Amino acid sequence: MDNKSGGTMPASTKRMRTSADSYSRKRRVGVWLARCVLAVGFLAGLYFSVVPMGRAQARAVLILPDLLSASLPPWQAPAAEPISSVQTTMTSSTGTVYLDIYSPTARPPVVPGAWEGMLFIPGVGDERFVPQVVNLSKALARIGIVTMVMTTPALIANRLDVNDENAVVQALHVLQRWPGVDPKRVGFFGVSGGGALLSFAAADPRTEGQVAFVALIGSYFDATMLLENIGRRAQVVNGQMEPWQPTDYTLEVLTETLVPVLSNTDASLLLQAFGSGQEKPLSPDQVAQLSPGSQAFYHLLAGDQPGHVRANMAAMPAAAREHLADLSPSRVIGNIHAPVYLLADRNDQFVPASQSVSFAAALASLHRPYDFAEFGIFQHAEVRSNLSISPQVLGDSWHLFLLLTKALQVGT
Amino acid sequence: MNNIFMLVIIWAMLGLLIGTLALAARLTPVSLAKYGWLWLILLGLGAALLGGGLGFWLFGPECATPMAIWVAVLAVCAFWLATARNTKTTSVD
Repeated sequence: MDNKSGGTMPASTKRMRTSADSYSRKRRVGVWLARCVLAVGFLAGLYFSVVPMGRAQARAVLILPDLLSASLPPWQAPAAEPISSVQTTMTSSTGTVYLDIYSPTARPPVVPGAWEGMLFIPGVGDERFVPQVVNLSKALARIGIVTMVMTTPALIANRLDVNDENAVVQALHVLQRWPGVDPKRVGFFGVSGGGALLSFAAADPRTEGQVAFVALIGSYFDATMLLENIGRRAQVVNGQMEPWQPTDYTLEVLTETLVPVLSNTDASLLLQAFGSGQEKPLSPDQVAQLSPGSQAFYHLLAGDQPGHVRANMAAMPAAAREHLADLSPSRVIGNIHAPVYLLADRNDQFVPASQSVSFAAALASLHRPYDFAEFGIFQHAEVRSNLSISPQVLGDSWHLFLLLTKALQVGT
Repeated sequence: MNNIFMLVIIWAMLGLLIGTLALAARLTPVSLAKYGWLWLILLGLGAALLGGGLGFWLFGPECATPMAIWVAVLAVCAFWLATARNTKTTSVD
């Protein structure tokens, strides 16, 4: 009554009214908060299911933990899609080619109606059964990418053979005909030396318009430049020469790759020095037994004459220099029309990161579609173990997510 | 089958959550005053299962859950809008 008549309100009524007002305001906020959550859920759900880019991002989000942890995260295991794996071989001009195919067992979804395919060369050596390679292949298959892991006798023998280009083209055609695979949605994924073979195949006229993308990690661009880096034990970073120490395995692969064009005596001595995966310098007498061209090659690999790299390069046998030029993706870059995604470990000891920088620069100068990202979470091509959350890991993960999205968009 | 079973469980939980959020957002239809809350939660559940299944078939398993979410939200909002409109029309008549 007091209130209606404009009199003073009792303190208890005032407190009750204030508390009721506050409760009502809180409820209104709660209502609008719930409505906002529903709106965000609706928009996000619509984007990640209906929009092709969103679908690619949803798949990238699912595969990223697999990649970073190098194993299937336990929380994903119960809902993991079943996959099948088949091991087969085919014959090419360079011998028996080994193919391990990982594919989803389910039928492809209505949109896009077929699976994406990926031809994967996990590097030099027999890397098919390396746990990270198997895990990655399975992870790709689980999100609907039929993954064909390929290796050749030359790769198994730690050697790069330019003729393996034919084997890659053949493997691509096998993958394109694989049940459920859309022949127009097949990409290449190459690690280290495997990237060079895929680059040759991507530039081959027989694959024109058939390669959706070329993703390369820790790959080299120019074998001659790589040997110069090895000879100097340095690489150019942002215009500055910086020390760089190659691994013994890099020296072994280069030796194994070039000895077929050298004499038997030279080949035997060079393999003795670098062919076992552990550098064993030759004695001065043994070096003297090498031909002048092979001596130059030895000094480049041994890195004991960093000031004479140019002269040693020029003194190498002509056949060896031609072989290096043949093995360089820089030779065919003008014929690669598919988008190229380059990933490099900043501190790569197998192949200097400057090789990927040169690859990116060459693609840029040709106005070709490409993406380049340097990472700290990789060790050459393998994810470093025991990664903890840090700004660098988060930044690298974000770049990896963007590149993955681009590669996965092909299949959406 | 294990993975599909897990996905169905996830969709069902999301459906229940969306139904509950719709209750909190006061999207309960006026015409269903008595058991409106139950209908809303059941609608969220059913729509999420339907959306998830449709998404699985159309876009594959990784896009099924996002589809379950937006279909469930759409269903509860559409139900509320439709009943609100009916109530208005009835009151005008």
